[in-house]
Amino acid sequence: MSLLEVRRLSHRYGDGEAAVTALDEVSFSLDQGLLLAILGPSGSGKTTLLSIIAGLLTPTSGEVVLDGQAVHLHSAREAARFRRRNVGIVFQEYHLIPYLTARENLLLVPHLRGRITEEDRARADSLLGEFGLGARARHKPAQLSGGERQRVAIARAFMNQPAVMLVDEPTSHLDTERGRQVLQLLRDHIHGRAMTCVMVTHDQRMTDQADQTVRLVDGVVQS
Amino acid sequence: MLALKELLNSRLKFGLIALAIGLVVSLTMLMAAMSEGLISGMTGAKESLQADLLVFQGDTQLSLERSLLSAADLDQIRNTSGVDDVYPVGHAMASVETGSGNFDARVLGLGGHLEQLPIVEGAGGPLGRGDAIVDVTAKAEGVSIGDTVRLSPIDRELTIVGFTEGRRYVMSPTFYVDMGTWEDLYLASALAPVDTAAGGGSGAVRGPFSGSASIAAVTIAGPHDAASVEALAARLGDRFEVTTPEKAAMAGNGMSVMVLAVDGIQVVSLIIGALVIGVFFYVTTLHKTGQIAAIKALGASNGYVGRQLMLQVTILVAVAAAIGIVLALGLGSAMPPAMAFEPQLQSWLTSLVAVFLMAHLGSLFSLRAILAVDPASALNRTEP
Repeated sequence: MSLLEVRRLSHRYGDGEAAVTALDEVSFSLDQGLLLAILGPSGSGKTTLLSIIAGLLTPTSGEVVLDGQAVHLHSAREAARFRRRNVGIVFQEYHLIPYLTARENLLLVPHLRGRITEEDRARADSLLGEFGLGARARHKPAQLSGGERQRVAIARAFMNQPAVMLVDEPTSHLDTERGRQVLQLLRDHIHGRAMTCVMVTHDQRMTDQADQTVRLVDGVVQS
Repeated sequence: MLALKELLNSRLKFGLIALAIGLVVSLTMLMAAMSEGLISGMTGAKESLQADLLVFQGDTQLSLERSLLSAADLDQIRNTSGVDDVYPVGHAMASVETGSGNFDARVLGLGGHLEQLPIVEGAGGPLGRGDAIVDVTAKAEGVSIGDTVRLSPIDRELTIVGFTEGRRYVMSPTFYVDMGTWEDLYLASALAPVDTAAGGGSGAVRGPFSGSASIAAVTIAGPHDAASVEALAARLGDRFEVTTPEKAAMAGNGMSVMVLAVDGIQVVSLIIGALVIGVFFYVTTLHKTGQIAAIKALGASNGYVGRQLMLQVTILVAVAAAIGIVLALGLGSAMPPAMAFEPQLQSWLTSLVAVFLMAHLGSLFSLRAILAVDPASALNRTEP
């Protein structure tokens, strides 16, 4: 059985004649342990799709089922709880908290869940080590390079051991080589943990790192 | 976690705003202390008269300066049912000569209950003819125990036997004397034109005036509720005006207008404080909507982000309050004695609670903005 199923998902912004269709009957499924790349140009609807999978946006129609749970049926409060437990998000702009150190940015995830345990601290240290950030744990985002910030953002997404990781344009701020390195690192960790990942990108060169690819053009899946 | 970390990380930014709020806090506290000082300086001697009720001459608008009761009036009051105790209070204005110059003073004759004066130095009652217990603020004018001061232009002298406190009237120190001394001073002042006129002589007036007073201080028998007070006032009739010492204190001399003005400044200060803190947090919130959206997208509830804001406001106000207290005490101690500055714990606590509430009220706009942040905006949703 697939871990993630997207069934006939449609989404429109606005009403009446001003309505814009961002997604139109999008369907696909993804098995556990795989990395899916959603590829498409700017305006193709890929970020809208990612937002719906994350429970941040309610679709106009269709459904998203993650690990047997219908994501789109959650209230805002339930959706927040769902994300805390099941979803790891890597933002395009990283969105690291500027006044927290790299380690504290990782520990923010268990903090939002309730309280930080010793196990959480050990996991944060372990992830920072695995992502080559052990020596930068006490540095704040402003003291880190772009690549380091990206790695902190990815490590943070691993903190709650999510069922699915959602990654938004992971290489947009990196040159090709660094982008490839970061994606390789992400892929290794996902496969190493048998995790599932949905990544949206406009960069076709990065799709060779993915196990599966969905191409979106004007909100429609291209075969 | 986040609220405190952000405050510590941006110490300069939050420190400056805490200083700004602290200045507002100190202003409201100074205003509160000056309001207390103004009320005390203007009315202390009147307000602290030991009595349930003060009885004034009718149609004098509770004016201590204009009221005059005859000995017969005092007897009528004394014999009214429901009255337990009556003592006369006389009022006169005086100019006191010292070695360094003159200062204005008020003279109150007390026909009893001199024990009500808290003695801070020297002796209390009973007072001999020409003796006076003086409010301690007269010390600043160079008056000391044992001094004999001269009152002008009536050519009378008073010997200082003790100092009391909190007993000023219309910002002047009050000289407490016995009723005989007061009568002499009052008549000397009132009848001076008669005595100095050619062929004049006030002897015919002085006899009937004997035993008069400005007002009567009354202790009522039985219950002290408003209904009993009203009933007694009705029994005394229209020839008198009856009120409590507290209400009498606020009557006349533009007291209500002055207190309203000072209280108005306090309210405006509080509104400014609320606006400063409201605008500061609102602008700060607008600058970090992306960050708030990301925290929400990571799973933070609206309750969590709202609590972080309120925690920051609370910490900021607490720091500002500490700054404000230090500033108010510092500025207060640097004020000249002539300035009416009397900090009272209760009024300062009221000011602090008001600042606390207004600051939180001001931050409600930020709270609304924070709650409205869409977590989906954390993802790069430039496309429709």
